[in-house]
Amino acid sequence: MRNKPGLGRWQRIGIGFALYAAAVTLGLGSAWWVLKKAPWIVQTVQVGAWKGNLLAGSQDADMYTRSTIALNALLALGRDESMYFIASEDDAGNPLRSNCSYHVEGAPPKARWWSITAYADDMFLFDAPNQHYSLNGTTARLDTDGRFVFTTGGQEQPGIHWLPTPGRRGMVLTLRLYNPEPELQAAPASLVPPSIKAVGVCV
Amino acid sequence: MKRFSNLQRLWFYRVLTLITTAILVHILAVWAAPRLIMQVLMQGPMAQTMNMQNQAAFPPRVTAASRTVVMPSPDLLYSVCVFDVTAGPLRISANPNLKSYWSIALYAANSDNFFVINDRKASTTPVDLWLVSDSGSRSTLPIPTGAQVVVSPSTTGFLLMRVLTGNYEAEKAVIEPARHTLTCTPA
Repeated sequence: MRNKPGLGRWQRIGIGFALYAAAVTLGLGSAWWVLKKAPWIVQTVQVGAWKGNLLAGSQDADMYTRSTIALNALLALGRDESMYFIASEDDAGNPLRSNCSYHVEGAPPKARWWSITAYADDMFLFDAPNQHYSLNGTTARLDTDGRFVFTTGGQEQPGIHWLPTPGRRGMVLTLRLYNPEPELQAAPASLVPPSIKAVGVCV
Repeated sequence: MKRFSNLQRLWFYRVLTLITTAILVHILAVWAAPRLIMQVLMQGPMAQTMNMQNQAAFPPRVTAASRTVVMPSPDLLYSVCVFDVTAGPLRISANPNLKSYWSIALYAANSDNFFVINDRKASTTPVDLWLVSDSGSRSTLPIPTGAQVVVSPSTTGFLLMRVLTGNYEAEKAVIEPARHTLTCTPA
């Protein structure tokens, strides 16, 4: 019976410790979830499958935007210098997978220079055997309609620029626009988005 | 009227403390994340290896092995400098003299991009920037005519020079010397 008060004190200490540990876990976990999994928390614009953050690199960025950019696109430039659009889904709304093939087609965006780069879901480049990581305003060959096309996936398709995406994991495509034209800066939703269509079956 | 028992009151305060602490930790984590990431960038292994404190460094071309900064662009050739204007201003100069896109961007310790100059803004004039701290006195600096004073919102930060290279192998004879014109030295 004399041990009961002591046991109660240790129980209270244990409960207090568990509550603080839970609070810290909840705080860190919710921060991680918001920054990595809840892009709607920051001001974005969506055109087709592409989402752009309007305050990336800006000193006007709020706390959440600044953190999201630091985690996903550190050292981004402001909208007047460069614009970034990221696609993590195809046009049908299915998440992009590196073991699937995609046909990406569009007209060169209204910017001085542009590029589309394939990244793995850790936001780093794929280990592409041909070292083709992107298609850009220099390397793109436009067809007679002035449109570019390329494919991503594990297997090359003859005659089409190919960005290899080895492995079986999530992936994103990033569209960069350098010195976008003023009307596009003013109205990012006016971007004519490249289409992303899945082709064939995933391997 | 139903009164709460001591045990119920105790658990009410416990849950309230849990929620309050979780919110504070959440806010602190979101606020601190960009600052911590910038610290790792500025003081981490790459910064130490390349010796880029108040001097320009020239990392190799981006490949799949480049895993220091997320979303590296394979179409850009980067040059970098970690700046610290605590002891005095830093002079940044460059004269890439390229017809294609290049830019020099300055980032504060919280990751904000507070300054950028590109080839169009610079035109044919060589870049000559004097980077000073917010608290530093500019009137006593021996700033040469034509130089531009830039006030950094933080005493430390990061400089990133981008040089466009749509086809590196074909262009490296021109763009490598161009990016090596970057200097970043205490004034």
